Amino acid sequence: MLVSSVRKSLVPSALALAAALGLASCSGAETSTAKNAPVVKTVPEPAVAGSPALLRLITSQQYVNTLVHTFGKDFKIETQFPPHRRTDGLLAVGAATAGFPAGQIEQYQRAAATVAARVVDAGHRDFLIPCKPVDDKKADAACAAKFLAATGRMLYRRPMDQKLLDEAVLKAGETGDRLKDFYAGVGVALEGMLIAPEVLFISDTSEPDPNNPGQSRLDAYSLASRLSLFLWNASPDDMLLKAAESGEIQTPKGRARIVETMLASPRLETGMRAFFDDMFGFDRFDNLAKDPNVYPAFTGVTVQDAREQTLRTAYNFLVTKGHDYRDLYTTRETFLSPALAALYQLPTPPYWVPYEFPADSPRAGLLTHISFLAVHSHPGRSSPTVRGKALRELLLCQPVPRPPANVDFSAVENPDPRLRTARDRLNFHSENPVCAGCHKITDPMGLALENFDGAGRYRKTEGGAAIDASGRLDGKEFTDVIGLGVALHDHPGLSSCLVRRMFSYATGANVRDQTTLGYLNESFTAEGYRIPDLLRTIALSNAFSRVAEPYTPPGKTAAAAPATEVSR
Amino acid sequence: MKKTTHFAAALGLMAGLAISASTAPRAASSNDAPAAAPVNGVIGYILTDEVWAVYQTPEGKQECPEGLNAWGPREQFKKMFVDDGKKRTLEEAQLAWEAKIWHPELGEDPFPFRGPVGNVSYGVNLDGRVDADDQITPDGVKGIDNQLYRAIGCIEEFRGPTGILHFLVNRYLRDFEFNRVLIEISGVEDMVNDPHVDVTILRGRDRMMADATGNDIIPGGSNRVDMRWGKKYVQRLTGKIVDGVLTTQPSDVTLPHAIFNQIPGEDHMKGAVFQLKLTPERAEGLLAGYSDIDNWYRQLNHSWSTHHQSYGQLSSPSLYKHLHRLADGYPDPKTGKNTAISSALAVKFTQVFIQHPPKEVASR
Repeated sequence: MLVSSVRKSLVPSALALAAALGLASCSGAETSTAKNAPVVKTVPEPAVAGSPALLRLITSQQYVNTLVHTFGKDFKIETQFPPHRRTDGLLAVGAATAGFPAGQIEQYQRAAATVAARVVDAGHRDFLIPCKPVDDKKADAACAAKFLAATGRMLYRRPMDQKLLDEAVLKAGETGDRLKDFYAGVGVALEGMLIAPEVLFISDTSEPDPNNPGQSRLDAYSLASRLSLFLWNASPDDMLLKAAESGEIQTPKGRARIVETMLASPRLETGMRAFFDDMFGFDRFDNLAKDPNVYPAFTGVTVQDAREQTLRTAYNFLVTKGHDYRDLYTTRETFLSPALAALYQLPTPPYWVPYEFPADSPRAGLLTHISFLAVHSHPGRSSPTVRGKALRELLLCQPVPRPPANVDFSAVENPDPRLRTARDRLNFHSENPVCAGCHKITDPMGLALENFDGAGRYRKTEGGAAIDASGRLDGKEFTDVIGLGVALHDHPGLSSCLVRRMFSYATGANVRDQTTLGYLNESFTAEGYRIPDLLRTIALSNAFSRVAEPYTPPGKTAAAAPATEVSR
Repeated sequence: MKKTTHFAAALGLMAGLAISASTAPRAASSNDAPAAAPVNGVIGYILTDEVWAVYQTPEGKQECPEGLNAWGPREQFKKMFVDDGKKRTLEEAQLAWEAKIWHPELGEDPFPFRGPVGNVSYGVNLDGRVDADDQITPDGVKGIDNQLYRAIGCIEEFRGPTGILHFLVNRYLRDFEFNRVLIEISGVEDMVNDPHVDVTILRGRDRMMADATGNDIIPGGSNRVDMRWGKKYVQRLTGKIVDGVLTTQPSDVTLPHAIFNQIPGEDHMKGAVFQLKLTPERAEGLLAGYSDIDNWYRQLNHSWSTHHQSYGQLSSPSLYKHLHRLADGYPDPKTGKNTAISSALAVKFTQVFIQHPPKEVASR
């Protein structure tokens, strides 16, 4: 089994406060470009530990995005690599402990074969291969090397090692001669590159930090990769690689220029949608199914559109418009598609349109999107507990204990017909003191969402009884879902959870260093809870590029400690 | 049954007629409770199902006691062109049969023909009279005029659920935008009882929204009015709602109806009325009226080839004769012979948000 939980060799580091502050002064948090951004208060970055150097398995979306950036839109192939294990709230963190058995390499190989064949086919070769062979029925090492070196630089996220390049050219030559087809030979060599460990695994390489003796930093190419995966969810492009080659990316001014360019790029939308998709746990959509007899209006199109609605809303509201992150949970702005409009019981044209729920609508904020309501429900009924748990874990970073193995679910799964509403059933269920403890954590806010069934459709009654949607969230009481949205908006854990998730997503590790998170939280607050500013702050921070000492639990040696456990 | 029905005579039909049972072959679900009034007094529906209303009992034992019609194209062809060793050209055999379809003749049907017995039928009292030979609904409503049923009731092609004209019609109705029929009921102050509402038939231009099973159309979809090529289908009716049933005043109605390859076709009904049980999510019942026989026959053959008709023992040349034999409306001023036949389409609609085009577009 190939695994990515390999710790990179790290240069022993020590905090050099003065040097760190020197870099922090160039972190440039005041150069906000977000629309509607307020005057930004600069928060200086304190001395931070940094984040670990990791080996991460590339995701299928990162792989495809890289192909598209390298070869063009024709290469947006449909492929689905094995999913990562959600770790500390994110699939991105699970990428650092992901691996695959030899049997699963076939999935990668199939994708590689498809891409390689398409690159060298008659319809693409003339503009993807920058030279023509002397005789297309024979090998041509010079032409093959020119193409493979240029392509390998993009796929490997750095210039190819000469030995690897030579091997690829040799393979192209042998195959080309044997098949009497130069392009077939190049295709075989390319296929091999596309499944090379150096391509499938994203390796952070550290180096001594010349500006901070005794400390380590990501090398230029690793920094380029980390930035690109964070902001674009793809491998670095030519601009980033050139900045790495020239060393510009390691200078405060150069890095600031590059980050601004990346934030202004259309690729930012791809990157941010990937982040929100991960943070909101939308991988659940990949396996979401509803009972068609219970929810006939919830179709396969609904599944796609519900996910799209929230991602589109989040990006437009938070990044394009630069609104306060907390307002995502109270805003009535969203987008509608025909399939969703049927569930929302609204008229709409036959395409996506911006939409604002009226002031008297029971819909406001992300919690009332069909995505959140349907994903966090059972196939045939809603679930205040599942919804409350999701709210706690996904949005407030508060883990909810798993139910005990011997819990009696009969009251909710095969209920007494006299218990007509979910509140009735849960009250009955919670009479068991073993159950009551956890349900107190989840149900008071989950019950506020009961005006929406398991498909997210509005309802006033359940089983003929009026639904009581009152509840409370950590001491704040409300009477309906609108009140829940406000309570969530005002919850101090909402913004700090986002900060934690975003930094973990950016670095691939669940960094819980309080100095780092405190700094980022303070900056986020000072900047008006605006996502573009937080992206910039993270991307320019020392915490992002500095390589931390691996955490060694007491009583263990450094070599035995898992690479991701860098929490302090 | 009045053999010579005039449009004027039909105006007085069905006053206070309890038709809900006769128009509801399938019971509405309990979720479909009537609402007091739609928002702004307007509710739209989209046509999802239409078949010629045929009263059926299990295996047809009651209405077709001798069995279903047995003489379709294959059987008649075999009789007409006996396999006696004689060589016949295509023109002398197959094309001769096809010519009989497109140039039908009146007179006696030389082949045995089975029509339903008894007088039970779905339909509407179109002429406002209760005559001795009128039909009666399964629930006992008298005076029903549905002579078309007497022609097609024992032809398998028209019977559900396996008859081709029963199940394929609705597949094409849903698949082809050409067939998109909307009705908009406006001025509704009460969905249960309202003495006057306006009903507008419109042509839609968008696909219907199927449910998760793919077998039904979900309420709450949206559909734009087609004012590009759909103006001819804009028809305005008036009606009333009694006990949750909409009944419109008689009016000539034309609906677009394409089958294979979206070849355009139309259904024409004279003196037609809607009788629809309304709920906020569904409308179900009948569109009944006098079908112009020549148009009806042309539409049938224009849509369905001999091979389709063969599967259900439907012989068009024979049926043509029986349609004229049973015709009961709109006599030709010169010959005095009826040109139309009372008929009823069983129709189902699902609620839809009708999207009107901007005024400047609509006025072009």
